[in-house]
Amino acid sequence: MAEGEEGAAAGSVSEPLDLVRLLLDEVVFVKLRGDRELKGRLHAYDSHMNLVLGDVVETIYVVDEDDEDEEIRTVTKKSEMLFVRGDSVVLVSPHTSS
Amino acid sequence: MSGHNMAAPGFGQHHDPFADLSKYDDDMDALEFEDGYDGLGDQLDETDDALNDDTFGGDEAFASVPVGKDFDFFGATSKVTNAMEEEHARFTRQQPTFKAPVQHAPSAAPAGYGYASHAYPPQIRPARSGYEKYQEPEPELKVDASIWGTAPKQTATPTAQPAPSAPSARKFMSLEEVEASLRAQATRPMVTQPPQAQVHAQQQFQQQQHFRQEPEIQPPQARQPAQAQTGGPHGHPITILQRPSSKHAAPNAPSPLSQQHQPQPQSQSPSVAPTQILQNPNRASGDSGRVPQQPAHRHQKSLNQQVQAMQPGQVGNLSEQDKAAFLEAEVRRAKRNHKIHMLSRDNGLMTPHDKSFITRIQLQQLVSATGDPSEYGTDAALNEDFYYQVHSSLKAAQRPNPNAPLNNFAQTYLFQTGNRHGGMRRHGRGPENHVQRMEQQVQRAVEAAKNKPKNKQLVIEGSLGKISFSNAKTPKPLLNIKRTESGSEANRPPSSQRPVSINDRKVALRAIEDVYMILMKMEDHERTMPPPGANPTPEVQQQVAEWHAVADKLNNQLWDALKIHEQVGPNQVHPFITFLSHPKGKKAVPRVFRVLSHEQRTTILTLIIVHLDQLDVVQGAQVQSGEPINLSAGTRESIELFSMAVMPQLFNLLADAELQIVTAVLGIIIQRLNIDTIARTRIGISMLTMILSRAEIIKQAGVANEQLWQQWAATFNTFFNHLEPTLSYIFPGTVTSGEDIYVWQFLAAIGIGASPDEQQRLVLAVKDRVMDTVAMAKTLPADMGKQRLDNVNLFMRSIGLDVELLQ
Repeated sequence: MAEGEEGAAAGSVSEPLDLVRLLLDEVVFVKLRGDRELKGRLHAYDSHMNLVLGDVVETIYVVDEDDEDEEIRTVTKKSEMLFVRGDSVVLVSPHTSS
Repeated sequence: MSGHNMAAPGFGQHHDPFADLSKYDDDMDALEFEDGYDGLGDQLDETDDALNDDTFGGDEAFASVPVGKDFDFFGATSKVTNAMEEEHARFTRQQPTFKAPVQHAPSAAPAGYGYASHAYPPQIRPARSGYEKYQEPEPELKVDASIWGTAPKQTATPTAQPAPSAPSARKFMSLEEVEASLRAQATRPMVTQPPQAQVHAQQQFQQQQHFRQEPEIQPPQARQPAQAQTGGPHGHPITILQRPSSKHAAPNAPSPLSQQHQPQPQSQSPSVAPTQILQNPNRASGDSGRVPQQPAHRHQKSLNQQVQAMQPGQVGNLSEQDKAAFLEAEVRRAKRNHKIHMLSRDNGLMTPHDKSFITRIQLQQLVSATGDPSEYGTDAALNEDFYYQVHSSLKAAQRPNPNAPLNNFAQTYLFQTGNRHGGMRRHGRGPENHVQRMEQQVQRAVEAAKNKPKNKQLVIEGSLGKISFSNAKTPKPLLNIKRTESGSEANRPPSSQRPVSINDRKVALRAIEDVYMILMKMEDHERTMPPPGANPTPEVQQQVAEWHAVADKLNNQLWDALKIHEQVGPNQVHPFITFLSHPKGKKAVPRVFRVLSHEQRTTILTLIIVHLDQLDVVQGAQVQSGEPINLSAGTRESIELFSMAVMPQLFNLLADAELQIVTAVLGIIIQRLNIDTIARTRIGISMLTMILSRAEIIKQAGVANEQLWQQWAATFNTFFNHLEPTLSYIFPGTVTSGEDIYVWQFLAAIGIGASPDEQQRLVLAVKDRVMDTVAMAKTLPADMGKQRLDNVNLFMRSIGLDVELLQ
């Protein structure tokens, strides 16, 4: 029943991506370059941090510089399934429902 | 004769220049012992010479036996010279004659002899080297035969003809001979100079041929008095043309010395050149039958070089116009020859054997690099491309032979190679052999690739580290982080000493991943299961035993990872329940059940029943009767997933369960759980329905004994008593919600097993809902209303009633 034995048998956390592995099939928050954020269920990932997300809500932060006072507005998109190329991923975190 | 370069490597290998030494014993007179004696012999210690006889034998060995007339070969052969020449002439006429251009009529060519030594330096005809078969088909070597005005046929195999006399004769040329030949050359008019180099070359070749065919009749002695004699046979054509009456018109210049002096006669020749040109037509008419034997292409090539070398001296013999034409032609030819020479410089460096050997090496590397598609089922192939391997193994049945692609590939490749060789060669045997050998090589390579141990590293003795191999499939690992079981275990304290954080979400997630990892290993391990055999050999039995040992080990790992037996405090949620609270945990249940034993599955069932009220699909999923169902989307999803993933497994398990177990399960629920909480959830109701209907099925099968039935009846009665207060609240939502079918099923399961008294109480408890539903059904469209009534009827008929009676 030793935890260590199980971890050894099944591969415990020994590299950062093992933590991402724990988030498989969980709802994750992904921050992307270009002021974008994703929230969705993590279906798959790889060593490049390419991600496959399901039921994704994408939030894009757009700064309107037309006016004197810079205004930030958000654009949200929903996707049933999304493939995210890893080079745009800034961070992945478990989604904590507030 | 002198055309053969003594330094040529080829001759020495198959012909001993001294082999015919005895024939020329008379010639030895030319070499005086004292001339060459350096007196070294005087310095020898001869004190013990007396013992020589003991050592080397009797005196007879040293006695100089007088050389008899037996060795005068010339004396004997000169008598038959005429006959041999006739023979030779007949022989050459018997060869297919060619319409040779005029200038091809042979003539004496002293200059040609002289140039021969320059033109032939790298001997054109090597000793047998294994190339013979292949040389001809090589297109690079091919000089257009039309240049020579001859068809590229060769009637005599050059290598088969020995050319013994030339070297051996020259060997014993004395200084007098050399001088004589020089004098003969200097005084000889150059009438025999051919106008075109081609003629020259041709003649020379012809003469060489003659040499080879009639070596014996050329004793050096013949040359000694007058060089003219030496030329005898080969000079013959010339004599026909120019001095028909004499055979000895063409003096020879056989010695290297005389060859070096060759420019001399050439410089004197211009004055006679016109005559020579005029004579050309005569030659053709006079000696058309003596067309030379056709030279091999390689001879032509070297002759080309000869021609080049000949140019400067020859040009002087021609008129201006001819000279210009000749020069132009020669330039072209020189260019062409140079090009050919450049192209063919490295020709023949590799034999076809070498080439096929290289090809085989390349093939082998190709095979080992691309891998063997027939390695189905091996871990390497699966690790490499799991989905492709699974896909192809699913499709494998359609393909008769999994090796087919590779064989096709190899055969195609080899067939092409073989074709190319075979087309180029007259004798197909050699190439076919190579093809066969290459095919065998490929097969061996494939076998080797199959059988080769998966050694990824090589440890050389004395080296400080390991040498990792890398290829396209498995790149050389730069970082080699090894996950040792002992290592990771050593780094963390035993779980008993660690602070218990079982509810920690991350721990649960990690446990789930562990379970999945083990599951994948087990499923992978299943693929390697040894095939069952009717008569297993001890070896197979051993394999089976090992396989089962590994399977058991993995099973234990899985069981540990599921944490079924983890002891928890009263206020803690069991880790397996936490496990089930995650969607991926629920999804894992079918796979887990598949690999677990029946006892293990029963244990899990019991565990779930015991902690039924702690399940996320029960806890917080209660519905209130009479109020709209306000479950969150997540909870609904969880319930749906649980119903799809977990419930069927439990149902299958219960479907085989004995009455004892069913009774025990229901007893657990009564004793340890809050029935009110359970009964107000869909999963809880479903679970209870499952238990009750299994008992009913067993009852109808009539296999259980009376005692067990009494136990069941007692348990059921207790259960009913516990349930009765809740009965009116178990309906989800309002009457109009229409999600109450599972409740009617549950009520039917109760009603069918209940005593008449209990049925009465049951009807009383749910009467309101029945009446409301029936009333509402009338307001609905016919099909929907009928569906509602059917749901109610599930229950009504279980207690012997029908909704019809209520209407």
